Amino acid sequence: MAPILKTLGNPFVKNVLSAQETLAFAGVVISKVFSRRSYNSATKTVLVNQIYFTAVEILPLFITVSIIFGSLLIGIVFAVIKDLGLAEYLGSILMGFVVTELAPFITVLLIALRSSSAIDAEIAVMKVNQELNTLSLFNIDVLDYLFVPRIVSGMVSVVLLSWLFSILVLGSGMLFSIFIFGMGLDTYVNALINSTKFSDIVIMLLKCMTFGFFITLIPLRFGLRASHELTSIPVAVLNGMVKVFIAIVIIEVLSLILRFI
Amino acid sequence: MVSVQAPLISNLDAWLNVALIRQYHENLPRDQARREVLASLDRFGLGAVADRRISSLDDQERFCIMLLRAAMVKRSVLVIDRPFQIMPDLQDVRYVGRSLKWIDDLYEECHIFDYVWMKDQYGALHGEEH
Repeated sequence: MAPILKTLGNPFVKNVLSAQETLAFAGVVISKVFSRRSYNSATKTVLVNQIYFTAVEILPLFITVSIIFGSLLIGIVFAVIKDLGLAEYLGSILMGFVVTELAPFITVLLIALRSSSAIDAEIAVMKVNQELNTLSLFNIDVLDYLFVPRIVSGMVSVVLLSWLFSILVLGSGMLFSIFIFGMGLDTYVNALINSTKFSDIVIMLLKCMTFGFFITLIPLRFGLRASHELTSIPVAVLNGMVKVFIAIVIIEVLSLILRFI
Repeated sequence: MVSVQAPLISNLDAWLNVALIRQYHENLPRDQARREVLASLDRFGLGAVADRRISSLDDQERFCIMLLRAAMVKRSVLVIDRPFQIMPDLQDVRYVGRSLKWIDDLYEECHIFDYVWMKDQYGALHGEEH
C-alpha cells in the first residue's frame, strides 16, 4: 500500500506545489496589472499590438466559427425546446446556456489554441536567444514589459470576443425563432431581456477575465521555464498548453459551482 | 552594452529596438520616439531599415542598431564587447570608429573590450579621438 500511495502521492504533491506557485505568481502579476507604474509608452505599444494580434487578427476565423458552430448549436437547442414544449423558457435557456456558458468557453478555446501557444513559444524563443538578458541589462522589468500587456490583452480579448460570439449566436437565434416558432422580433428580444440576470452577466464577465488572465499567464510562465537549449521550446509549449487546458476546465467547473450555489 | 550577449529583440522592428529604452524609461511618446530614432538611423544612412525585422538585417546594420540602442541610455557609457564577434566579416576596426564618430554627441564615454590576441585589429584606432 505504501509504495502505491508514494507513487500516487509524488505527482499529486508536485502538481499541488506547481498550482500553488502559479497562484502565488498570479498574485504578483495582479499587483503589477493594477499598478500605474507598469504602464509607459513601451508597454502601451506592446498592449496595442497584442490586442491586435489576439482580438483583431482572429476576427475572420472567429466570426466564421461563431456563425457556423453557433447556428448549428442554436438550431439543435431550438429543435429540442420545440419538441419538449419549452418555448416559454427560450430566453432563460439562451441567456443561461449560450451567453454565460457557451460563449466564454468557445472563445477561450479558440484564443488558447491560437494565442496561448504563440505566447508560450515567443517567450521560450526569447529565453533561448538570451533576449530576456537584454531586457534585464537595460533595466527593463520583464513583468512590466512582457507580462502585463499580454495578460491585459488576454483579458480584454476574451471579454470582447465572448460578447461578439453571444451577439452572433443570439442573432442566428433570432432567425431560428422567426422560422421555427414564428416568433416576432419584439417577442424574441423581450424574452431575452426578461431572462437577463445581472448576476449572470457579472459571473460571465468575471469568468471571461479569469480565463483571459490564466490562458496568458500560464504560457508566459512556462515559456520562461525554457532553458537555453532549442529543444526546450517544444517542451515548454507542450507543458504550458496542457496546463492551460487544465486551467480552463478548473475555471469552468468553479464558475458552474458558483452559479448554482 | 553592445554585445552578442545582449541581442536585439527579434519580435520588434529595428526602430522599436532603439526606441524601447527611452519609451520604457522616459515614457517618450511613440511618435516622438520614432522621429528621434529615424533621425539617429539617418546618421548611419540606415533610415530604410527602420521598419525591418532584425532577422533581415546584416551584421553591420545590427551593430549600428545595437550601438544606437546603447546610446539611448541617459549619460550613456558605451561598452562594446568584442565587436568582431558581432561583425565576423569586418576587416579592421575602422567601421567601429566611424560609427562612434557619427553618434559622438549621444554618449559620454566608450570602452571597447576584446581579447589581447585581437590587439592588431585595433591598430586603426590609435591616435584617433576614440
